[in-house]
Amino acid sequence: MNTFLTDKNRAVRRAARAFCEREIAPIAKQIDQEASFPWEVADKMGRLGYFGIQAPKALGGAELDTASYVLIIEEISRASGGLGLCVTVHNSVAVAPLLAFGTEAQKQRWIPPLARGEKIGAFCLTEPNAGSDASGIEATALKDGDHYCVNAGKVLVTNGGIADICLIFARTDPRAGRRGISVIVAERGTPGFSVGDLEDLCGMRANPVSSIRLTDCRISVGNRLGREGMGLAIGLAALDTGRIGIAAQAVGIARAALEESVRYAKARRQFGVPIARHQSIQQMIADMATDLDAARLMVLRAAVRRDRGEPFSQASAMAKLHASEAAMRITDHAVQIHGGYGYSKAYPVERYWRDARVTRIYEGTSEIHRMVIARGVLGD
Amino acid sequence: MNIVCCLKSVLLTAPEGPVVRSADLSDLNPFDRPVIETALRLREEAGGCITALSMGPPAAADALRQALALGADRAVLLCDRALAGADTLATSTALAAAVARLAPYDLLLFGTRTSDSDTGQVGPQTAVRLGLPLVTWVHALERTASGFVAERRADSFRERFAVTLPAALTIHPAACIPRDETLAGIDAAYEHGAIETWGLDALGCDPAEVGEAGSPTRVVSLAKKTRDRKCELLTGAGEEVAEALVRTLADRGLIG
Repeated sequence: MNTFLTDKNRAVRRAARAFCEREIAPIAKQIDQEASFPWEVADKMGRLGYFGIQAPKALGGAELDTASYVLIIEEISRASGGLGLCVTVHNSVAVAPLLAFGTEAQKQRWIPPLARGEKIGAFCLTEPNAGSDASGIEATALKDGDHYCVNAGKVLVTNGGIADICLIFARTDPRAGRRGISVIVAERGTPGFSVGDLEDLCGMRANPVSSIRLTDCRISVGNRLGREGMGLAIGLAALDTGRIGIAAQAVGIARAALEESVRYAKARRQFGVPIARHQSIQQMIADMATDLDAARLMVLRAAVRRDRGEPFSQASAMAKLHASEAAMRITDHAVQIHGGYGYSKAYPVERYWRDARVTRIYEGTSEIHRMVIARGVLGD
Repeated sequence: MNIVCCLKSVLLTAPEGPVVRSADLSDLNPFDRPVIETALRLREEAGGCITALSMGPPAAADALRQALALGADRAVLLCDRALAGADTLATSTALAAAVARLAPYDLLLFGTRTSDSDTGQVGPQTAVRLGLPLVTWVHALERTASGFVAERRADSFRERFAVTLPAALTIHPAACIPRDETLAGIDAAYEHGAIETWGLDALGCDPAEVGEAGSPTRVVSLAKKTRDRKCELLTGAGEEVAEALVRTLADRGLIG
């Protein structure tokens, strides 16, 4: 795997690992059980550059490559899936599309506080009737002079409870179908902007996922990202990058599950020997390690393709599909290896299993990914 | 305030055969992180230049880049086949020659020890070679008109020394909490940071006094130490278990 990595990538991974082991791992269980967002750690991460990993230095970012980005997301997610989710969504589907599609003035205004972690970003696409079918969006942003009047009911917004800068997908032309959707950047505090109750989720509980409602919210035309009607194109481009991050997150969670399983299998004795000596456990460990390695290689390949300016959409879809499915298999094996204890909150593997589950759902379900991948393979 | 920090790239795990130092198996000595932190804080107060200095194979450059990522201004690596196999004395000889070339400086800082060989000798020996006043295990520094008051803590003593400059100090690991590298700092260290590599010629050392040739120490053997741990489970009611525990510990002479 190191074949892909530069000395700088390795230095980034070492620094991220040391930080996550010292600052995040010790509180991971607590923030999961209490469903609380760790502001103190997030503030430190902001000062160190974790909220502007790929943003240009001139705008307060660290300007690192995508390979470094996925290594960081893996390390954070290994310690806490919920915090890894916050960082990956913020960087890849909030900061990245603002950088890719924003005007110079928009970047100057929004990127520095986002890159320093002083403000948190969110991507608001999902609605009660628009999930996998993003074209079903019902939110509207109707032009009224130099403002849009935005009405939107967004649900399951990652970072929703803490987000300051939200990319809202809404119809600027209700008659134009898929081409009538635009992205409007809504800032918390704008009159008509409200945050709903936090969702009580199965996993990723440290992330304040919530609904966000905009009611007759007047937002300047200058807050539109890209041209009118570009919404879905911006969304799909953002998700191409976002998927690499979600895949890296799945790798991080799966790695934590494998490491915990190896530790446990060596310590737990049954039939007079550590269970790691039993072939049935060895088979599981071998499958877990192989699945994990393949997932990590696929994630790195997608990242490296993006860094080289090569098409990476297919690679990122495959990486996300495989890594999330692998994470599910690996965390399931981890629970199995731990037996009854694996099902108890006394051990961390049930948390990994709960956290891994959603990686098969968000930023495109496994089923949607298979559809996208098949389309690429079949050349439709 | 010009400060030279002597750092070591240490092995992360005990070698099982001949020592091969590669970047993946090495890291900046954790006891050197408070050294860099001390230097950074002094520079924040008084300005000046921080030079990170190390001796080692090319892979040791990574430890210097960590220092650059943390904020050091300059990095020098003493790297030459003739320096390989050095014991602490030969290391001190080479470091002293390099430090002499880095003059003028005000402070020469070391960690108290390293995590891979743990002698604690290199700082004091280098200070002696250079004829510098030395305070070891420094916990705190206070600026005075002529230099510093260095507070040293050892056992239950707290000693304060007035030190004139230039001086050498070894910094206690608990002197301060070292900062983390920023991601932008790491990027800059690898994209723009320069590691100056000095060989034997640059140091002007006698080849017989450095490296293996200059090392009077001979390691007779090196073997990995394994710890045997035994676990005994005491069962029964709370009081019985407590008594059994006390008895067991007393029988083994672990408590009086």
